[in-house]
Amino acid sequence: MRAPKMGSWYRLDELMVVEASRYIADGDIVIVGTGMPMVASLLALKNHAPNMCFVVETGTIAPQVIRTPVSVSDARVMYRAVRLGSLLDALGGVLQRGLADIGFLGGAQIDQFANVNSTVIGDYSRPKVRLPGSGGANDLASHAKKVLIISRHERRRFPERCDYITSPGYIDGPEGRKKAGLPVPYPDIIVVTDLAVMSIDKAVGRLRLDKLMPGVSLSKVGENTGFEPLLPSETASVDPPSERELRLLREEVDPHNVYLKAGDQ
Amino acid sequence: MGRKTGNKVMTAAEAVERFVAEGATVGIGGQTIGRCSMALVHEIVRQGIKDLVLVGCSMSISMDIMVGAGLVKRTECGTGNLERLGTTFQWRAAIEEGRLEVEDYSHLAMASRFLAGSLGLPFMPSKSLLGTDILNKKSFDDRKPFALVDNPWNEGEPVVLLPALTPDVSIVHAQKADSMGNVIIEGFTTHEPEMVKASGSVIVSCEELVDTDTIRRDPDRTTIPYLFVDAVVLQPWGAYPTSTFRYYEHDEPHLRDYQERARAGGDAYQEYLQQHIFGHATFDDFLKEAAGADRLSELRDTMLSLL
Repeated sequence: MRAPKMGSWYRLDELMVVEASRYIADGDIVIVGTGMPMVASLLALKNHAPNMCFVVETGTIAPQVIRTPVSVSDARVMYRAVRLGSLLDALGGVLQRGLADIGFLGGAQIDQFANVNSTVIGDYSRPKVRLPGSGGANDLASHAKKVLIISRHERRRFPERCDYITSPGYIDGPEGRKKAGLPVPYPDIIVVTDLAVMSIDKAVGRLRLDKLMPGVSLSKVGENTGFEPLLPSETASVDPPSERELRLLREEVDPHNVYLKAGDQ
Repeated sequence: MGRKTGNKVMTAAEAVERFVAEGATVGIGGQTIGRCSMALVHEIVRQGIKDLVLVGCSMSISMDIMVGAGLVKRTECGTGNLERLGTTFQWRAAIEEGRLEVEDYSHLAMASRFLAGSLGLPFMPSKSLLGTDILNKKSFDDRKPFALVDNPWNEGEPVVLLPALTPDVSIVHAQKADSMGNVIIEGFTTHEPEMVKASGSVIVSCEELVDTDTIRRDPDRTTIPYLFVDAVVLQPWGAYPTSTFRYYEHDEPHLRDYQERARAGGDAYQEYLQQHIFGHATFDDFLKEAAGADRLSELRDTMLSLL
């Protein structure tokens, strides 16, 4: 979808990546999942967080990633790392150890409690669609201090309840993580889409709508969401991308549209 | 006779014949587009070794080919995936059609299971998986895939215990090895150090065979000492069409062609197996047919430009 013409022209999926990158602060230790999280993290690294510690589950610690890796085992994601170690180093020694400021993941389904499904659509034992599975996503959502989720906003991707919970959000409400025995403190969870930004209201353990993308109405979000997010008294608008953010994204992060294809919406 | 001594250099065909038995649990090295042990997998497919249980973390085209060739009865892993190049389509179809048993874990959970095996322990505690369907949904049989216990030092805090995983044999592609079986993995090692040390037997294919003197002069570079290794297969380009860090880039067009045919299934897929695997006696023949010297040197140049 095209955003209203204010300043330069941009697509909302571009702004989704830009907005997600803004949640990464300089110096953060970020465990980065495959796909869109890699693009948004790379943008943060180039734009405003040159000292972020990019960690990839293959064992890659603090690389100066070059464009545009297609996989977590791509040499581009390992460029000038301070260490190329093991999966246990990254997901055990950094993440489960409690050092990750941000775990950044995608997913096929995200429900009202911010649980994520990347395993199956339909029944687990005889799925309608079998998806790749957890990978490191469950670990990221279990152990990071803050969880960042990025996804295109479609009704089928935002059901009331995931068909299968691969990665824990607040499970079934405010006490969900506590009952399950997940590590404390419980994380902030932020979901950035091409229509809106939602985050977990810890008091109720459910997603609240925080911001709308420019030109997107509340009813548009409603039509494309399978549950009713909590509504604040006033909904803010996502800041449009700066010239610099757009240029970096288009020219230095994903110039060949490996992740963001025009028309692929 | 000490443990696993002597010269271990042999061909892929010999190594697979000696160490991969029907019904074996096979540890799979590499990750997505990186360092998958393709030469060894081609050999397993040519020898038609059946009823395999494949275990690993991020399993990719090497696993998908064995599933597509009808050799696999079960997988235990964190994911089946080629990331930006798509999912593992033969694996996906086999699960959707009920032809394959699967047990899901997270990557850290799988690495923890290998770690337990590598330390000679029965299980490893974990704080992943809690509250999710990876624990809640029934797996394929009645074997207990995990246990929940109370932290003895913090009453009321649940901890997951994951059973040790000790593959019968693991297959790994590395950059360097010597004839004794000392192995140097350069770059990322993913779950391989733990998996290899937990395995009954280990086959390592390598880009280069180095002198044991070279190993002894620089022993802190040894990722895996010979004690764990049974067979060393010298196979340059042995991970093609996936990459080998410092040696060559993955071959994206070949992978995309595989993905297209794996997704289509049926004849298109059988043609891939016929053309690229059954049609050749050795992996070198495959490299000549599928890539050729010029293409391989391009892939080497690309990798060198990324270092």
